[in-house]
Amino acid sequence: MDFLSNTVVLSRMQFALTAIFHMLWPVLTTGLGIYLVIIEGLWLKTKNKDYYHHARFWVKLYVLNFGIGVASGIPMGFQFGTNWAPLSEAIGNFFGSIIGFEASWAFMLEAAFLGIMVFGWERVNPIIHYIATILVAIGANLSTFWILTANSWLQTPAGVELVEGKYEVIDYVAAVFNPFMINSVMHMVLATLETSLFVIGGISAWYMFKQRHTEFFSKSFKIVLVVAIAVAPLQIYVGHLSGEQVQEYQPTKLAAMEAQWETIPAGQSADWSVLAIPNEKAERNDWELKIPQALGYILELKPTLSKPVLGLKEWTPEQRPHLLGLIYYAFRTMVAIGFFLAGLMLVTIFEWMRGKLSPDIIAQQRWLLGGWIFAAPLGYIAIESGWIVRCVGRQPWTVYNTIRTSDAAANLPPGNVLTTLIFFAVTYTLLLFAAFYFGRRIILKGPNLELPLPGETTPILGVNPGQFKPDQRPTEAQQ
Amino acid sequence: METLDYLLPQVWFGILALFLFLYVMLDGFDLGVGILSLTSSSEERRSILMTSLSNIWDANETWLILMGGSLFGAFPLAYGTILQALYIPVFIMIFGLIFRAVAFEFREQANRKWFWNIAFGLGSFLAALGQGFALGGVLEGIQVDASGHFIGGSWDWLRFPSVVVALTLIQGYVLIGSTYLIWRTEGELQQTHYKTAKIAALTTLIGAIVITIVTPIVYESARSRLFSQPLIYIFALIPLLGILLIWQLWQSLEKKKEALPFVWTILLFLLTFMGLALVIFPYIIPNSITIYQAAAAPSSLVIMIIFIGALIPVMLFYNIYQYVVFRGKITVDEGEIG
Repeated sequence: MDFLSNTVVLSRMQFALTAIFHMLWPVLTTGLGIYLVIIEGLWLKTKNKDYYHHARFWVKLYVLNFGIGVASGIPMGFQFGTNWAPLSEAIGNFFGSIIGFEASWAFMLEAAFLGIMVFGWERVNPIIHYIATILVAIGANLSTFWILTANSWLQTPAGVELVEGKYEVIDYVAAVFNPFMINSVMHMVLATLETSLFVIGGISAWYMFKQRHTEFFSKSFKIVLVVAIAVAPLQIYVGHLSGEQVQEYQPTKLAAMEAQWETIPAGQSADWSVLAIPNEKAERNDWELKIPQALGYILELKPTLSKPVLGLKEWTPEQRPHLLGLIYYAFRTMVAIGFFLAGLMLVTIFEWMRGKLSPDIIAQQRWLLGGWIFAAPLGYIAIESGWIVRCVGRQPWTVYNTIRTSDAAANLPPGNVLTTLIFFAVTYTLLLFAAFYFGRRIILKGPNLELPLPGETTPILGVNPGQFKPDQRPTEAQQ
Repeated sequence: METLDYLLPQVWFGILALFLFLYVMLDGFDLGVGILSLTSSSEERRSILMTSLSNIWDANETWLILMGGSLFGAFPLAYGTILQALYIPVFIMIFGLIFRAVAFEFREQANRKWFWNIAFGLGSFLAALGQGFALGGVLEGIQVDASGHFIGGSWDWLRFPSVVVALTLIQGYVLIGSTYLIWRTEGELQQTHYKTAKIAALTTLIGAIVITIVTPIVYESARSRLFSQPLIYIFALIPLLGILLIWQLWQSLEKKKEALPFVWTILLFLLTFMGLALVIFPYIIPNSITIYQAAAAPSSLVIMIIFIGALIPVMLFYNIYQYVVFRGKITVDEGEIG
């Protein structure tokens, strides 16, 4: 139990725990945000009140996620100061300003218009409301943009110069558009959107499976499908581009992702291992299952490679990542889920074209709907896996090839960090259960199809605009 | 170039002070309402209190995130040193804010509301307590080595003056929370908060007097600054203005004005804040690190003025717009809650 007295390890555990937990929530608020823009737009265009009721229903899940997302986001920013003060000082010039941009560009926009989006249906006219919904979605996705920009810069620092242990920005454009940035932002925006699509699709499938509001939910299901046609394959392509970049800029990470101990020279057949049991002590894999030439096809679409893939043995153990099994399998999990989701989308499109998805018979597609219900949580697993590959695979560096994680941590009494770590573990477990519990209740309760359209409610609101009537408080009404 | 090296950190000191003031004012009344909810006699009252914040708490809290991010970018050294030194109060605040934030939605959904009521009230209280100790701890001064890194102990922030600061801040939050509720509610609930506002005004006043007396005695740095020319004239004016504002506040409460008590309280906060800023300036950590030592490189400060500073009017605009949209008294339809 040495780690209990090791501040660096404890601070890393705390950052990992808080980051993994935090990541669960903005997924829906960014992806579902875009979906809400689509569905509210359809309502305004077609005047079909089903779309309005869709917007009102899905926004409940949005709000549930939003609160926990905000709550768990606060410790992320503050931890750079509390637990990683030397890092803050070294990277503040660039990284700190980006965190500031995120707050001013993204959070404030999202926060200011969220109130109108959720509670403002009776207070502003539909066009203003729609603008608010769009601004919320833009705010959430801008947040992805800035955070991924900041993280990409840690992966591939550019546009800066180290002066007395601090990075000074010499070229802001180069720093923002660092090598990883565009791909990483795309990969993450698509990831939140794809995960949200499969969550919406999965929940819609569950209702149809249970034959509740089948026609109503076949609408959301089909919107999901149409968007997924573009998103799921594109995500695989962008993921592939990210892999190529890792090969170019972070060879230690690629070697860890592939548990590749020996260098594969250019021109030699590059095999790809599907499964392996890496043994870090012996510097080899105890067992592995390989597909001949597959790595060559994955990276360059031909059996051999034009440049070598460096093996882990090229570096000393202090210069390369550890927890190989975690990185190796996290990567495979992410890829497998990406392909599964794309495959599910294709099968469903095929069934749609055969006319099997019309509202009167869609409930009979038991296996297909079951597949969608099963797929609902998979996007989350893929996202967490991807972040594990990205950040555990970057080790032992915090700023790749320059600042070691052990040098980035503040010298705190381990007891302090252990205490907050335990508090986080307990608090987050509680919040996770509560979110599941309340999320389940929202879904079990289902949409309120009786909800009057804006402007058609009780005249009181028209007479007295001061009357603040928040969005349907049904649970309190039952008290 | 020389002047720029001085001017840029000063501009950022001003911007950060503005963000912090907006946060303390706006989330101050949120937290105050949260603390007051601990004394609410019924679920219905608590519902009104929480409804009065449900659409704005998040935007209000965002000023803290913005202040944190800007401090990180503009004064990286101070960001690390202050937060590391205040590890314990900062996490008290963070856990308080976490429980406060989730309570809004979870309480709404829950059948048994008691747990989330406590989460909301106690969360607000802990957040205020953590902030009070953090402020007290910074005023106290932080032990640093020659390069500005923290070398003190984990509990350095816990001293008698910081206890007074923390208690006073909580009273201040209760005061601004009460006056906010006077503005936004009506009937019996409003009447109750005329009373709580008066009590809070008195307790805040006592705290303010103690701090005003204690500050020059305990804090060396403050003493030398307070009695230097020409600042002494400004500092002499602050208590006078403070008494005037408290008197106005009291009058407005006596006369049962609706919006005025809130306005006077905001002005009181502003005055206190300007006093604090003048005491601290040009330090960012009193007596050890100046804003010039802690400042980021000029290139970063300039870019941040463009990308954050220029957005301030826009951010203020959409925050104000939100208040306009949701203006008016908060009532929960009696038929809905029974």
